Amino acid sequence: MIRFLKLYEKFGIVIFIALGSIFLVSVTPNFLKLDTILNILAQAAHGAIVGFGMTMALTSGGFDLSVESIMALSSVFMAILIPVIGIPMAILVSVLIGSLVGVLNGLIIAKLKVNPLITTLSTATIIKGVALLVAGGRMIVIMQKRFMAIGTGKLLGIPVPIYLMALFFGLFYLVVYRSSFGRHVAAVGSNESAARISGLNVDLVKIGVYVLVAFTGAVASVIRTSQALIGMPSMSPGFVLVVLTITILGGTSLAGGRGNLWGTLLAAIFVSMIYYGLNLINVQVFYQMLAVGLVLMLALFIEGLRVRYLQAAKAKGIKV
Amino acid sequence: MDGGVERLRTIQLTKTFPGVVAVDKVDFDVRPGEIHALVGENGAGKSTLIKILGGVYPPDGGQVVMDGREVVFSSTHESLASGISVIYQEFNLVPDLSVAENIFIGREPKTFGGTLVDFRRLNARAAEILATLEMPLDVKSYVSDISVAERQMVEIAKALSHDSRLIIMDEPTATLTEKEVRKIFEIVKNLRARGVAIIYISHRLEEAFELADRISVMRDGRKVDTRAIASTSKNDVIEMMVGKVVKEYFAEAGAREAPRQPLLEVRGYSVADAVEDISFTLHRGEILAFAGVLGSGVHGLLQSLFGVIPKKAGEVSFEGTPVHIDRPADAIRLGIGYVTEDRKNAGLLPAMSVLHNLTVIIIRALSFLRGLFIRDAAEMKSFAAIRARLDIKLAGPTQRIIFLSGGNQQKVLIGRTLLTDCKALILLEPTRGIDIGAKAEIHRILRELADKGLSIILTSSELPELVNLPDRCIVLYKGRKAAEFTRATMDSEKLVAAQIGHTGGARA
Repeated sequence: MIRFLKLYEKFGIVIFIALGSIFLVSVTPNFLKLDTILNILAQAAHGAIVGFGMTMALTSGGFDLSVESIMALSSVFMAILIPVIGIPMAILVSVLIGSLVGVLNGLIIAKLKVNPLITTLSTATIIKGVALLVAGGRMIVIMQKRFMAIGTGKLLGIPVPIYLMALFFGLFYLVVYRSSFGRHVAAVGSNESAARISGLNVDLVKIGVYVLVAFTGAVASVIRTSQALIGMPSMSPGFVLVVLTITILGGTSLAGGRGNLWGTLLAAIFVSMIYYGLNLINVQVFYQMLAVGLVLMLALFIEGLRVRYLQAAKAKGIKV
Repeated sequence: MDGGVERLRTIQLTKTFPGVVAVDKVDFDVRPGEIHALVGENGAGKSTLIKILGGVYPPDGGQVVMDGREVVFSSTHESLASGISVIYQEFNLVPDLSVAENIFIGREPKTFGGTLVDFRRLNARAAEILATLEMPLDVKSYVSDISVAERQMVEIAKALSHDSRLIIMDEPTATLTEKEVRKIFEIVKNLRARGVAIIYISHRLEEAFELADRISVMRDGRKVDTRAIASTSKNDVIEMMVGKVVKEYFAEAGAREAPRQPLLEVRGYSVADAVEDISFTLHRGEILAFAGVLGSGVHGLLQSLFGVIPKKAGEVSFEGTPVHIDRPADAIRLGIGYVTEDRKNAGLLPAMSVLHNLTVIIIRALSFLRGLFIRDAAEMKSFAAIRARLDIKLAGPTQRIIFLSGGNQQKVLIGRTLLTDCKALILLEPTRGIDIGAKAEIHRILRELADKGLSIILTSSELPELVNLPDRCIVLYKGRKAAEFTRATMDSEKLVAAQIGHTGGARA
């Protein structure tokens, strides 16, 4: 039992995916087609990419509610800049602008010691306001059809967002697990005073984390904007909650210190699967949110049971 | 003693924790209108005793008799209901509530059929209690805004509001100024005049002698004796406290060779709320201990030397060069290591593995390309070296640190600093919360490290550690240097006397 619970901590999300697959296969024969699977993966990309950033924020003991607004801001700048400076430069500049919001978040959180929740809640509101101002309160249509290639194009039969998701997974895998910065992020999230006494530059680590989250938000915005061909100052309302759901469902602890990138990747795919599957069987969009929320609640419930069981086992002197 | 007059009596009271008898068959009593001082070294069992009386721990054996009736407490509420209030060092107050609200917390006078707090009556009754004790305190001020001494007063008022007939005070004056101490004394004496029984725990012997009627000394869980203050002396009490300090570890390390090179020189060092004008020199390969009870400023001094808290004044030079240490990172760069006394809150990275805990300081140096790629082989090599050197017992490098024993956790924290190749190591309470076997092992390790040239500064509240381990021991009292002992002049009674402000020396 204990071995199972330890495995569950790492790969619990796999069980959810398996159950979800069985459900979808049983309700629709279309599910096992290659096209369907590629579609689900492509739709998972932007959630996964921001999820990687959010995993990092939670690992550092923080939080970022402003990603949604960062996406909106980048989206608006892209739509405005593409006709002026061309697609590549416009992408570069708007991703840069999005990342700058991360610098702002990081500075406020690290230097002014404001709670990350409050900080990013207020920057979220401010940045959304800026995005609306810049866009003049309207959606901005992008005329350059070539821009669509990023969000909807295919390379060797595989949608481009899947490549981006893989690329970012690899990048974040290196940062989180293979770099000293990733180690420092976990140390700060695990015990900030201990990190400080260990001589780590806690402020710099935090700023770095929020820049990375903002960066993932801006990149996700490129994918979404390209798919819609519209610069949207009110992009993806509620998306930040979906990202948090993905990250927590993937097994990253809200208490900090432990991030699970594989979990985030799989959870993003799982959530995309639920959306897609419910779409296939013509369930209203409202029920999709409901379903994801219920799954999260179930996962947290099981997690609570798991931790309590392990504690009880430890109290009884069983080695865990 | 003639039966029946005691407010509280314990009969053969015993409490055992795994591996240690914390309170061992203690017969103790306190009378109405008496201040009874309770003294003893750290670990003597005072805290456990008062926690039993406060209903925190159930005793394993023996009885507690309150006003002639046997009482058994299964919770702190039951103890309070029997008329006992314990004022712990870390107060039980809610900072965001007012003085009056704190005094009557959970028992606020109600109005409107018991739905709303009647603040007028609440404040009036609180003011009444404060007035009887002549406490100059505004009942409406928030506890977060008042001084430590005033919080002490609020705790006392709270005890009185419960009609407590026995008040137990755990080191009430440790962090107070001289003037505040006088005020608390007045209040305590006032309580005595009202017939309240008081158990007064203090590290400062002169306070016990000024205030108390009787004094009891505890050592190793036992009560050594109870004496009337009038018929005993400070020297007697110190002797009872110290007993025989067993030279357990390395009986005689032999004469250490003559003067060594200085490594760290500290001149005129002051830290706010801790120490004033401290100067000392740490030599290469030397173990220097700082001794001092709560309020002596020892912890503040050592924390400030490592850059954890700022200094107020003073100069520091390291290897002959003047240095500025503003942050821990500065100290680490110079080659100074630090092991905290607060393993849980400032030392361990609880969510992480033993391996990652061990290498957190040096992980960047163990990587290619300015920290971009961690070199696993180098990290495992560091791990293996420290594991062998400190004999850390664990399942494997990926085991989470919280699943190790206290002793092994401490070894990991020492190993963490050793990996930085530091030249000086500062340790606060290196063996706190560690079992006896591991203690001896950590002492052996520290001695070996010093013999290989590492300079060590440590502080400890455990007498054997101060007597046996260091080459030199400086005693601080109320922020100033009170005495200094070398291996040759070390005397455990004099050491204890200096720590508790009895500067005449035990045989004076």
